[in-house]
Amino acid sequence: MPQFDTTYFASQLFWLYASFIVLFILLSVFALPKIGGVLEERQKRIAGDLDKAAQLKHEAEAAIAAYEKALAESRAQAHKIMQDNAKAIAEAADARNKAIGDKLAKQIKEGEGRILAAKDEALGHIREISTELVRASVEKLTGQSVDDAQAEAAVTAALGGKA
Amino acid sequence: MANPVEQFKIEPIVPLEIGGVNVSFTNSSLFMVVAVVLATAFLTLSVKGRALVPGRWQSMAELMYEFVANMIRDNVGTEGRKYFPFVFTLFMFVLFGNLLGMIPYTFTYTSHIAVTFGLAIVIFIGVTIIGFARHGTHYLRMFFPHGAPLATAIILVPIELISYCSRPFSLAIRLFANMTVGHIILKVMAGFIIMLGIAGIAPMVFLGGVTVLEFGIALLQAYVFTILTCIYLHDAIHMH
Amino acid sequence: MGMGIRVGVELIAGIAVGSLIGYGLDRWLGTKPWLLLVFFFLGAAASVLNIYRAVHGLDDSVGLGQAQRRKRK
Repeated sequence: MPQFDTTYFASQLFWLYASFIVLFILLSVFALPKIGGVLEERQKRIAGDLDKAAQLKHEAEAAIAAYEKALAESRAQAHKIMQDNAKAIAEAADARNKAIGDKLAKQIKEGEGRILAAKDEALGHIREISTELVRASVEKLTGQSVDDAQAEAAVTAALGGKA
Repeated sequence: MANPVEQFKIEPIVPLEIGGVNVSFTNSSLFMVVAVVLATAFLTLSVKGRALVPGRWQSMAELMYEFVANMIRDNVGTEGRKYFPFVFTLFMFVLFGNLLGMIPYTFTYTSHIAVTFGLAIVIFIGVTIIGFARHGTHYLRMFFPHGAPLATAIILVPIELISYCSRPFSLAIRLFANMTVGHIILKVMAGFIIMLGIAGIAPMVFLGGVTVLEFGIALLQAYVFTILTCIYLHDAIHMH
Repeated sequence: MGMGIRVGVELIAGIAVGSLIGYGLDRWLGTKPWLLLVFFFLGAAASVLNIYRAVHGLDDSVGLGQAQRRKRK
């Protein structure tokens, strides 16, 4: 086998080390930093993109939060307005009710006063009517006339001495 | 039929002698130079555009870079970073040697024991130096298993020591043997096909299969050579 | 094919290195041929150790115990 022919061992080793060292220098000076740079750049770019995406996401989340806050606020405001309105309406209704009630109460009171007056008046006429009635009845029953004073005295006695 | 080992013959191209030593520029040297040129061209031109979205060549260069970088990270750890250029060069040198050899009429320098041993011994010596530089004589502790009775040291230590020293040999012989056997098989089969003429169709299909297999072996052996270097480095750096 | 080559390589490498060390020590200490014999067998043992590792898929780190520990990890 030619592999075990020692004639060219020295030449093989010499050229092996020479070419290996040249390749080592070429790669470590030119090729590897370049490839490493490209990979690093891409890595950085990807990381940057990710950062940006994260930032955008953050912003979107903030926007959503703001929107939701505004929504909640306006909802609360609407609620408040509704409540206020309801309160105002209720108050107005109360006021009107009260006014009507007052008015009615006043009218009732007036009516009562009038009734009382009418009653008093009627009661006041009772004596007169009774006296007249007494006189007429006596006249009819006995046939003799009774003067007013007598009749009145009788009525007063019948009413219990109250005149 | 051509002699299947004829392909391994070294032919001097430019006879050269330095200090009485024959260092002729041979066909083997030529292919080493070709590998250096191709590897450098491949790794520099492919990333010339520095494209953010890589093309086919750039992807391949990046793939190899990350392949070796991951290999070092997984097997050596972060401290292995400074050996990256060396390991990468080693990987490229062996890989291109193996792959160039797959082209008909080329010379496979990795099928020469002198070359593979030349690489392996450098790794072996380098790793041993790193080990002793980092751990001093404590590095010798590696050769005795933890927890074994002290009396067994007299037999275990020499065995582990021989096992350690056989590493460059096994590393070198493995690469050499794989490449040599593969190329002999290919050559013998190609010879058969030529001899058989028309009837050579069937072995031709088989030859295609074997060629694919040889490509796999070319890649695998470059990987094995590199990963073993990483494992040795790990031992020298970390030492349990 | 890979494993076959691997086993053969380990066998050759271990015995060769052992014998080489034995031969060197013999020449140095003038104990021919005893150390060569001893180291031939130590080399064979190392070969077996390495083959055992290869067959069991252990990595090539120094020391069998370590390799086993690493595999378990």
